[in-house]
Amino acid sequence: MKMINYLFRQAWSQLKQQPLLTVVSILGTALTICLIMVMVMQQQIKVVPFAPESNRDRLLHIKWGSVNSESFGKKYVANGPISYKTAKACFRGLNSAEVVSFYSMNLSMQVKLPLAEGKGVDVKQTDASFFQIFDFVFIDGKPFMQADSDAGLPVAVITESVAKYLFDTAAVSGRELLVNNVPYRIAGVVKDVSSLASTAYSQVWIPYLSTQMTTGGQFNWMDGHLGYLSVVILAKQKSDFESIRAECDRRVETHNKSIENCSLFFRGQPDNQLTMSKHTNATSAPDMQDYFIHQLMIVLILLLVPAINLSSMTQSRLRQRVSEIGVRRSFGATRSEIMGQIVVENLVLTLIAAFIGLVFCFIFATLWGDLLFTESSMTYLNTAPAIEWQMLFNASTFIYALLFSLLLNLLSSGFPAWKASKIAIVNALTGKTH
Amino acid sequence: MNKKLLTQLYNERRSNAWLLIELLLVSVVLWYIVDSLFVTFSTYTEPRGFDITNTYNIEMGYYDEKSLDYIPNQTDKELNSDMRELIDRLRRHPAVEAVSASLTSYPYNGTNNMILAQIDTMQSNNRVIWRRVTPDFFRVFRYQGANGETPEQLAALLKGDVFMASRNLFQAQYNVDLKDFVNRSFILGGDTTNYYPLVATLENVRYTDFTQACKSTTIVSLLNENWLDHTVELCIRVREGASPTFAEDLMTEASKQYCVGNIFMFKVTSFETIRQNFQLTEMNYTRKDLVGVGFLLVNVFLGLLGTFWFRTHQRRAEIALMMAFGGSKRAMFKRLMSEGLLLLVVVTPLAMLINFNIAYAELTYSWNFTFYSVERFFICVFSTFALIALMILLGIWFPARKAMKIQLAETLHDD
Repeated sequence: MKMINYLFRQAWSQLKQQPLLTVVSILGTALTICLIMVMVMQQQIKVVPFAPESNRDRLLHIKWGSVNSESFGKKYVANGPISYKTAKACFRGLNSAEVVSFYSMNLSMQVKLPLAEGKGVDVKQTDASFFQIFDFVFIDGKPFMQADSDAGLPVAVITESVAKYLFDTAAVSGRELLVNNVPYRIAGVVKDVSSLASTAYSQVWIPYLSTQMTTGGQFNWMDGHLGYLSVVILAKQKSDFESIRAECDRRVETHNKSIENCSLFFRGQPDNQLTMSKHTNATSAPDMQDYFIHQLMIVLILLLVPAINLSSMTQSRLRQRVSEIGVRRSFGATRSEIMGQIVVENLVLTLIAAFIGLVFCFIFATLWGDLLFTESSMTYLNTAPAIEWQMLFNASTFIYALLFSLLLNLLSSGFPAWKASKIAIVNALTGKTH
Repeated sequence: MNKKLLTQLYNERRSNAWLLIELLLVSVVLWYIVDSLFVTFSTYTEPRGFDITNTYNIEMGYYDEKSLDYIPNQTDKELNSDMRELIDRLRRHPAVEAVSASLTSYPYNGTNNMILAQIDTMQSNNRVIWRRVTPDFFRVFRYQGANGETPEQLAALLKGDVFMASRNLFQAQYNVDLKDFVNRSFILGGDTTNYYPLVATLENVRYTDFTQACKSTTIVSLLNENWLDHTVELCIRVREGASPTFAEDLMTEASKQYCVGNIFMFKVTSFETIRQNFQLTEMNYTRKDLVGVGFLLVNVFLGLLGTFWFRTHQRRAEIALMMAFGGSKRAMFKRLMSEGLLLLVVVTPLAMLINFNIAYAELTYSWNFTFYSVERFFICVFSTFALIALMILLGIWFPARKAMKIQLAETLHDD
């Protein structure tokens, strides 16, 4: 402990001796860590749990399905969200899952009170299980009941801002509103949900059985195999994913035997949260390997360029200190001790820089989060994505930041340290670098 | 002088090695990003073929049977006449210049219909966007004819079973301009029993601001007024100088004025907003490219700054000696600068070789169906060189200026 303390003090005084170089190195490192962390956060925000998607690591998703069909002797494939009929046959009541829920894509619908002007809001059609999977914060009332959603009663859960727009207050459970001019009873009012919670997000939730979603011709196509619904599955624990996938496969296989002229397939789904976030179109499964390689390439370039820079500077700095190294060596310091010292010295610098970088990253994320985290698909919604600190401040964020700074530290000081430790004592004492 | 510089460069090869590696890496990566930005910028500045200023999209809904105002037992014919009535009412709005109905046609639209066109032995590719529109569509989005037709003339030409196509319909496969095919008959959608005359050729209509004109082909045909219902796209152009709050004003009148039968309006969005939303992802990619350029340049700056800070510090004696023998400050300054630039000149040929191979392997983005042209290659290589050179000069400028300020006598005395 004393040794470490000593090393840090030594490092600090070294850094103070060359203020300009220290500033340059810190700026370079901070910039790198900041950019890498922005990248990390862009991914984190899609997978890290935050309310109401607190169970993200136990979720499996089936956003769309595909139908292989043959007509007029021509084979073709249709892709898109699935119908209620398909969802029920393939995914309802999975034994290996805790809860299964169906939900529609967000549709823009008009909400209003009788005799007042209306407004277009996002409406999601779902069932009571949805509220078991996602932990919405209820300000007033409660979710609609299983019995209500099964019977297709016109009940709705709305967000605080919709409630305030219509009634000027949030305590409105039990009252009535018009959704596309159909009267609905408000079961509960929840805190607004950020559209970054891509599955849970909406402004109004109503049962899909209360509309024409499950039966209407305009919502069902491909002989009623495809429709407007997606499926979300909550596993009891992450380790159940494999058995749930296997059960889904069995169910799909059985279902395919019962239908004629075509067969359903799901392109690798159920997806976990990360894969789902990359599964942006119905016509193909995301190439996760390609995605990881791409990310790796960017991180590598982000690390390599500053690492070369810092190596060069570390080596310049060491050049002035060869005689010091010579003295240390002649008094019995081993090569690995010298190396260790140089690496730790750099570590102090890297950690300071990483901290600054992370602070910058948080500032960027808060100020320009809509630029960093919004995707085209969110812009069709009626609210802008809100960023909350829980989405960004996460243990894993800090672990990643630490990991990348250690990596950068090793990359940038490893080679100069190794070179410095190899100088022969006599040469070092006389100040010769090689 | 130059020989001395080269000798010095060689003598300091160990510390220069770091700079050389960095400059090489940065030269290649930066060129790649600059090249991609070149394609993005060239695409973005191409003519779009349509005009969305003062245009709005109107979304409509249809009351279902549970709705309070539902009118039961409506026939399709009634629905059609309700829709036509709604369009007529909008046309009568004093601020409205034109109203069009269409299917998968408006700009920045994620929903598309494709159609195939054939004539003689020529056939279009299968990514031609099929736009079915009412004649006013040309007036709303101000499409232009390739033979100089105005939107009004185009609108007058769209009657019956005719069609129009963008002039680049056959460009990719046959490199012909469709301008010369006006009034000839084509087969559309593989239906060999009917021939459709091409009544006008359109200036190319881009799919988005980030889609190259050469990759955006379109065919426009008439949307029969008898098919209109609430599922069509409704687009309007308002007159120059109309109120900026037009969309909100229209919505406040909506439930009284623009609710016909079971059809109601619930959202008016300007195409400027639709455009921004649709292209957010591409915009973000461009921003990321720019951040990449910035990051690399800052690193070059910091790297050169750090290295030359040391170098000038170490060479104080040398600099003082040269100045004592009559070297001017300017000459010293120039010498340090040329040292940095020379490093870049040394790596550039190697970087160009790597860049050329990347382009040759078609790992870059294509522009007008090619991955490299002499012009594009040299523009991008030169811009990369200039950007890095600028950073080198900036990076060396600080330490060089500091070196110029040394006190001759003291420095010489110290050593």
